[in-house]
Amino acid sequence: MTPIIHIKDVHKQFGAVQALKGVSLDVNRGEVVVIIGPSGSGKSTLLRCINRLEEFNSGQILVDEIPLDSAENINTVRTEVGMVFQQFNLFPHLSVVDNITLAQKIVRKRSAPEAEKVARELLVKVGIPEKADYFPGQLSGGQQQRVAIARALAMNPKIMLFDEPTSALDPEMIQEVLDVMMNLAKEGMTMVVVSHEIGFAKAAADRVILMDGGLIIEEAPPEELFTHPKEERTKAFLSKVL
Amino acid sequence: MDKVEDKRNKVFGGKYFDRWWIMVLAVVGLILLLIFARPDPYQRIFLFVREGIWTTVYITCVSFVLVLFFGLFVALGRLSKSTIVRGVSTVYVEVIRGIPMLVQLIFWYFAFPSVMQQLGHAFNIQSMIEYRANAVTMAILGLTVGYSAYMSEVYRAGIQSISRGQMEAARSLGMTYFQAMRYVILPQAIRVILPPVGNEFITLLKDSSLVSVVAVADMTRRGREFMAANFIPIQTWIMVALLYLVLTLLAARAVTWLERKMKMEKSS
Repeated sequence: MTPIIHIKDVHKQFGAVQALKGVSLDVNRGEVVVIIGPSGSGKSTLLRCINRLEEFNSGQILVDEIPLDSAENINTVRTEVGMVFQQFNLFPHLSVVDNITLAQKIVRKRSAPEAEKVARELLVKVGIPEKADYFPGQLSGGQQQRVAIARALAMNPKIMLFDEPTSALDPEMIQEVLDVMMNLAKEGMTMVVVSHEIGFAKAAADRVILMDGGLIIEEAPPEELFTHPKEERTKAFLSKVL
Repeated sequence: MDKVEDKRNKVFGGKYFDRWWIMVLAVVGLILLLIFARPDPYQRIFLFVREGIWTTVYITCVSFVLVLFFGLFVALGRLSKSTIVRGVSTVYVEVIRGIPMLVQLIFWYFAFPSVMQQLGHAFNIQSMIEYRANAVTMAILGLTVGYSAYMSEVYRAGIQSISRGQMEAARSLGMTYFQAMRYVILPQAIRVILPPVGNEFITLLKDSSLVSVVAVADMTRRGREFMAANFIPIQTWIMVALLYLVLTLLAARAVTWLERKMKMEKSS
């Protein structure tokens, strides 16, 4: 089976800083991959390269066998890849339901009633159907992040990327977001998650990847990586977060 | 909290609103008083300058619509990833901002037709040789080119005030750059830039008096003609100044009204 995400020897330079120093990674359909690592290790950069929010200097990324080389391909890939951000990035001038219908209407060309039906179904799925007509500023962080997940899901993506989805949340709101992500994983969504939530990684991940200094240090199923890490750097990092 | 704010807007905002309308009415009243109490010379001045009011309003409004349009393009150019596009837009803004508006208007009316004619001779193009400048067209062209540079900076500041995450979220959903601008960035930026845009409009309205030097019969030009024929400078310029004041006060009211409307939409 061909991997749905194929990353080969990707390098990325930010001015003098080399953020990615040759990263290769394959993600299979339905797989949940959690990337952990210290800040500045390049994990968010790698994630952002997958939908080309970040350009890379060399190497190759194929998403569903489409190379990220032309503007047209990048847009095709973006409609197949949903992304959830640390800072939610909801559109503050639009109501919750409009946040979820906007891209459906202008990118997927769905009719307004059709898009709204999808939006309301997804709000039920993420557990906040009663907030449909609120504005983002009136919601808690956890609710906003769940709307952001619904907004991404509305495009029927094949892959979901999560860039530290719970890092900006108050502790008591983390679980409600993780629950939604857990359900997605159970449904068989392909997910790449950058996160510090070890509990989520243990429960949902098929594979955990530790990155440091722009390189993948170690990758293994969670039970193996968390209990018997092979690399010294993995041990050092885990001793700080576990 | 929203409710408290609404209430305060009604009480204090209401008074504020009325007070400024009283100012507009006072100026209009003063003009009427002068016209009826002293028809000679004020009524004569008014009737003479009256034709210029329309010209001033027309030139200002047409230029402003064009400025809103081109200013946005220049702003997008300055924010472009392409070094060439960014370079061209930056040079445009810096050059235009560095030359007085009056000099620019004189260039468009007196020098530009000459340039066209000489190019026509050089390349033997008959329509260019016969090119003649229309004063109103050149005035609108000059004001548009000049003010688009300032307006682009207003737009740029507004667009840059919106967090980068908004563009990223929109792009990650598959929107093109222009769709993201149209549906996500600009609707948010417009709330930020409305006060400075209103300011630009009022400044443009006043600067439109500069077109009087390039043969456009606006309010200022009509005032000068009347003064030259009748030798009553004090009364003439009092009348012209009051007429400008009515227009700028009305424009300021319109801007405040728009701002309120947007605020209410946002809080609803």
